[in-house]
Amino acid sequence: MNHGILVDIAFLLLAVLAVVSGWRVFRTDSMVRASFFLLLSFIAVGAIMLLLAAEYLGVAMFFMMGVEMMVMALFMVMFMMNPAGLNPMVMVHQHRISMGAGVTAFLVLGLMALLTRFPNRPLPAGLEPVASLGHEMLGGSMLIFESAAVVLLATMIGVVVLSSHRGRYGAANEGSLPPGLAPGGDPAGKPKEDQDGGHEHHHHHHH
Amino acid sequence: MILNEMVLPIIVVLAVLVGGAYSVAVMDRVIATRLGAPRAGNPWLSPLTRGAWLLVQQANVTEAPDGRAWRLAPALYLALAATGLALVPWSETLVATDLATSVVLWGSVEALATVVIFLHGWSANAPLALIGAYRYVALGLSYLLISMFVLIGVALPAESLQLTQVVMSQEGLWNVVRQPLGLPLFLVVGLGMTFWGPLNLADSTDLAGGTASEVSGPPRLVWDVARAAMLVAFSGIAASAFLGGWLGPWLSGPLWMVVKMLAVLAVLLWLGRVVPRVAPERCVTGMWVVLLPLAFVDLIWAGVAALWQ
Repeated sequence: MNHGILVDIAFLLLAVLAVVSGWRVFRTDSMVRASFFLLLSFIAVGAIMLLLAAEYLGVAMFFMMGVEMMVMALFMVMFMMNPAGLNPMVMVHQHRISMGAGVTAFLVLGLMALLTRFPNRPLPAGLEPVASLGHEMLGGSMLIFESAAVVLLATMIGVVVLSSHRGRYGAANEGSLPPGLAPGGDPAGKPKEDQDGGHEHHHHHHH
Repeated sequence: MILNEMVLPIIVVLAVLVGGAYSVAVMDRVIATRLGAPRAGNPWLSPLTRGAWLLVQQANVTEAPDGRAWRLAPALYLALAATGLALVPWSETLVATDLATSVVLWGSVEALATVVIFLHGWSANAPLALIGAYRYVALGLSYLLISMFVLIGVALPAESLQLTQVVMSQEGLWNVVRQPLGLPLFLVVGLGMTFWGPLNLADSTDLAGGTASEVSGPPRLVWDVARAAMLVAFSGIAASAFLGGWLGPWLSGPLWMVVKMLAVLAVLLWLGRVVPRVAPERCVTGMWVVLLPLAFVDLIWAGVAALWQ
């Protein structure tokens, strides 16, 4: 395939950006900064995919990762009880295992890149990458993609339910209520119970 | 060829970025004066005066901010506005970036704007700025889905994710008529992503300026220009997606685009002046409970119409 030297230069710059910002994820001391360095790394990869003519997947990477990293930063701050995520903290743990895993993954992927013989199949002239991707995802492979989507959604909801079980005012499944303003009083911040009587589904403990 | 394909689009984007931001400032002042707000100087000169004043003002510093992110955020927001403007087709051939997935790239600009605005408030390390940042994330995550459904709606009759194709598909009937729910919902998105007027939750007066409360001098100037430029980029996308873009009789394509963008801007700025700011909790509830189902209806409407043809 014929391409200009500008494409090569752009690829090299983006690849360096992806690797450097990926490395910074582990060297920074804040969850929010780590999320956004990871976002930068993904954006560089998305731009490389655009260079590879994956026009939908590359652009999809931008908005998927934009929302994803924002939500991830938000949830990390909420669950880690680190006020606002500005407090410095160590972003790495289990050093020996992770270093081993990192070196192994690098060697395996590097060997694959070097030793694989990539096929030389020029794309047919009339190929529309966006349309063909759509036909693939909503045609032959629809069942796989839809099942994966449902599994991912169920996993996300499950993880949040399990990890947020302990609420601010006690366990979530015991109907956690804020404490009363006076000892033994009604829960604070709740409207006064039914004057006109008759809502069966409210169960408050009056003492 | 290089002149037409490389230089001309860049000049167009830069000119609209500067001229558009200035027009927003002038129009906003004129509308405010018409609505009876006390007149603060000549509407043509006062934006320039304010800009010059910010340029020589000292840039404020807070205690232990994330300095690089804080200075970078306004520039990134401006860059996102420029990216959006680069997608706006001025005629069938005059488009800076005629990507096959330009509608999706605009969606990415909206998503990344959330990140950048959050970063602006977060990195200042100041309480009111931080509250503004978190408020914006709640708002941003609420309008993103609405925007996505509405934009898929305009992509359906075009059978393409390319903005030029979306414009071409409106040859017979503009999308504003074909999908009547689309443009009103999309205008809400526009007010949201520039946190303008009723949806100004990030930089609102109840937070003493929110994410920009500690920002002064040149960074503040860039931030203000970027917000106005983003509004211009949004009006370009809205005019292309719903008002037939460059299509129209008598005038040339680019001129029609300017007229339509000014009309969208006038509506947005007027709304920004007459509608009061909504409370954050009510805003998020309204977006998820009322506007998101309406966006669903819009998408089903567009889908059924596309099937019938």
